[in-house]
Amino acid sequence: MNKGTYDAVVIGGGMSGLTAAITLCDAGKTVAVISKGDPVCCLSTGCVDILNSTDEPFDGISSLPFGHPYGLVEQDLIIEACEHFMETAARGSLPYAGSIHKNRHLITPIGMKKTTCLVPKTMEHANCDENEGIHIVSFRGLKDFFPSYIMLQYSNTGCSIFDASVSSTIGIAERFEDERFRETFADWLSRQHIPEGKIAIPAVLGIRSSFSIYKELSQRTGRTFFEIPTLPPSLPGIRLFKCMKQAFLARGGHLYWGSEIASVEKLGAIIEGVTLKNPGRVGRVQGRAFILASGSFISGGLFARMDSVQETVFGLPVYYPENRSGWFKDSFFSRGHQIEKAGVEVDSSFRPLADAPFKNLFICGSIMARSEVMKYGCGHGLAIATGYAAARSCEGFVR
Amino acid sequence: MNLDFQHCIRCTICLENCPVFRVNSDFPGPKQSGPDSQRFRCDGETPVDHWITLCSQCRRCEIACPYGVNPAEIILREQLDYGKKHYRPLVSRLFSRVYYLGNLISLIAPVANRLVSVKIVRRLMAFTGISDYLKLPPYRFHAMKRSWRWKGSHKSKRKVAFFYGCYLNYNRPDIGRKIRDLFASAGFRVVLPGQVCCGLPALGNGDLAAARRLAGRNVSILEEYIDRGFDILYSCTSCGLMLTQCYPGILDMEGGKKIAENTYNIHEYLLKLMDEGLLNLIFESVTEKAAYHIPCHLKALGIGYPGAMLLERIPGLEITVMDDLCCGLAGTYGLRKKNQDTSYRLGIIAARALRDTGASYIITDCATCRLQLSQLSGMPARDPAEILFESLKGSVNMKRKKKL
Ligand SMILES: Cc1cc2nc3c(=O)[nH]c(=O)nc-3n(C[C@H](O)[C@H](O)[C@H](O)COP(=O)(O)OP(=O)(O)OC[C@H]3O[C@@H](n4cnc5c(N)ncnc54)[C@H](O)[C@@H]3O)c2cc1C
Ligand code: SF4
Ligand code: SF4
Repeated sequence: MNKGTYDAVVIGGGMSGLTAAITLCDAGKTVAVISKGDPVCCLSTGCVDILNSTDEPFDGISSLPFGHPYGLVEQDLIIEACEHFMETAARGSLPYAGSIHKNRHLITPIGMKKTTCLVPKTMEHANCDENEGIHIVSFRGLKDFFPSYIMLQYSNTGCSIFDASVSSTIGIAERFEDERFRETFADWLSRQHIPEGKIAIPAVLGIRSSFSIYKELSQRTGRTFFEIPTLPPSLPGIRLFKCMKQAFLARGGHLYWGSEIASVEKLGAIIEGVTLKNPGRVGRVQGRAFILASGSFISGGLFARMDSVQETVFGLPVYYPENRSGWFKDSFFSRGHQIEKAGVEVDSSFRPLADAPFKNLFICGSIMARSEVMKYGCGHGLAIATGYAAARSCEGFVR
Repeated sequence: MNLDFQHCIRCTICLENCPVFRVNSDFPGPKQSGPDSQRFRCDGETPVDHWITLCSQCRRCEIACPYGVNPAEIILREQLDYGKKHYRPLVSRLFSRVYYLGNLISLIAPVANRLVSVKIVRRLMAFTGISDYLKLPPYRFHAMKRSWRWKGSHKSKRKVAFFYGCYLNYNRPDIGRKIRDLFASAGFRVVLPGQVCCGLPALGNGDLAAARRLAGRNVSILEEYIDRGFDILYSCTSCGLMLTQCYPGILDMEGGKKIAENTYNIHEYLLKLMDEGLLNLIFESVTEKAAYHIPCHLKALGIGYPGAMLLERIPGLEITVMDDLCCGLAGTYGLRKKNQDTSYRLGIIAARALRDTGASYIITDCATCRLQLSQLSGMPARDPAEILFESLKGSVNMKRKKKL
């Protein structure tokens, strides 16, 4: 065998792929991650939804319909996976708060509430009731953040606007990485005579060191803050992705970023390697086992034709509702479009089901059939749980 | 017109990754400069969006975009069109000719090196539009092109031609010669083909015609070597990007595809030989902690980061790989006064992150990254090839029996 062969090659650098990759690194395996681009995590709130359709997500999992991929992960393993995630994030200076037994409700930029479970510590105090005094601090020119909408929902709310001389979330977040800017901001804040209660701020407290910036600001002003996630570009989502990616690198993993899979090299039921589509020469990555975490339609793991759905890397059989006319509900915003059920069906070892075409291929994340991430509100949670479990199964195989 | 921009779903992922957008609010970022504006651009029209020249062509947007849109290339085409239809400032003209300048300066190296430290010369440079916050690297008279042109046996079946590029040529020929010697001692026939600048500085400074002229000369020379069974090697990641992506891509050179298919990064090549069991490198162990910075253009090459992947095999060398930093200098971009502030700010961000790793030095493949990062962090910055030689101490062992 080629000496450069990895124990495991993960295709897709999203929450599920990186979780699987980190788990395998922790088990002492050599791992490569190939991704054609950044994952949907970057567009998310950075909060981990476990199961939003109930108030007690962990208990709710057991009442999901038969065939939901959560059902493939043993209960103990789900707890272990979440603990592993919390630990990884904390080691990457992005500590999370919350428990998988209880959901939380966060304020959104338009004043509505969002149900979620595990939140970055900068949002730990975002559970507010309607009569609680909140003061919103926003920034001049900031788009996609609407203090007035929030004030309509929360009676006791005030608002102040700071001029950061830039108006994009990313631009402001970069400023917060600078100590002098933080000083100026804290001074300004202390001059605002904000009434008692929590202070809400759009999620712009830094890119790389959000938690330490948050802590420093709280200490400097003696106030309780919480961040409100914004529309994309969403800093908490970016932070989570970068934290996971850096955690993988710190464990000695190798990244091949920006390349799509061009072809698959197989020998019978064993995948030996994949080639990478590059403008120049095609690259080649070989592995003893492969994990497919290429996401759903939005990331291109699945592709819909007029009358069928395809899996784009290995051409695996895909489950999808038969009749195209039944794929969508009438309203775009209604939950539970049938097409959300599309995906790759797997067995209890996370290998593709049916005629199990490959022995060394494992599947995880939103590409799994019947995951219905939007309907149940289980995006990152399912990615973490199945990523962890698939990695465990893969570890057994490459041992 | 290229219609790839229509695949854009406006997700803003490219924007999240644009270093310039982070620190310079005059630049609207890759989404707006690329696919968003492209819908309104027509062939034959004079471009008016002058802010497109603020893009440093780091290509991070392209690597991040999951939908196959290439904002960097859309912007580059627009920059070139802009350069063609507007007056190009003196500094752009100078920088698109760095190769010829380098030629000249290296001839009078000892004098020139002293001149740039004279105040009045520095003032003059600033007046021309050259930024002044960095100390420029000294030039060498004994350039690569004045070195011994070949090494290793005539009869060897394994043949490589080393495209050393301008920086090793004029500024660090010592590293270049060591690379040549390393391959020779591994049993290769190594040649240093006659070559000119890869053309990137011309491209980055809005001069497509000059870039194509330079590329044309390189293609015709390198093609001949390929036909004679040579593989082409590069060490500078920006040269690599030109040879493997821009020649067949935006420059659309005849023969470009052939160059791309036969050209390798030196570390990628060594790794490949080692993994195929054809080469055995025996490293001496060290006790060191280094931070490896992935240059933007290496990222864009899509080959991982072979320099670090190779050095990781040195026992006792602890490497922290940093993936998300842009040094900000981007070739000649940060050397222009108008980009100085952007470049400096990005450099400081990267330097701080590298210092925070607790490493004692920085390793990175790109010479301009090293220039910027070492000066702004106060840490030494080294080429991976330098570390490689040190830990090899001459023990290169090529298995001669197997065929390549
Ligand atoms: C706008 C939006 C907001 C969301 N917000 C939240 C939230 O706040 N909380 C929450 O818990 N969940 C949220 N979700 C859901 C959640 O983000 C996803 O369900 C989850 O992150 C999916 O992770 P994944 O790893 O399965 O796939 P993805 O994140 O989709 O990752 C797939 C990766 O594979 C790569 N890839 C695909 N095809 C190939 C190929 N051929 N070759 C190489 N690489 C390939 C892609 O580039 C991508 O990086 C949100 C989803 C969306 C769309
Ligand atoms: S160019 Fe790509 S990354 Fe940028 S907004 Fe469009 S689809 Fe998203
Ligand atoms: S190439 Fe770099 S500087 Fe230019 S738009 Fe893309 S990310 Fe920004």
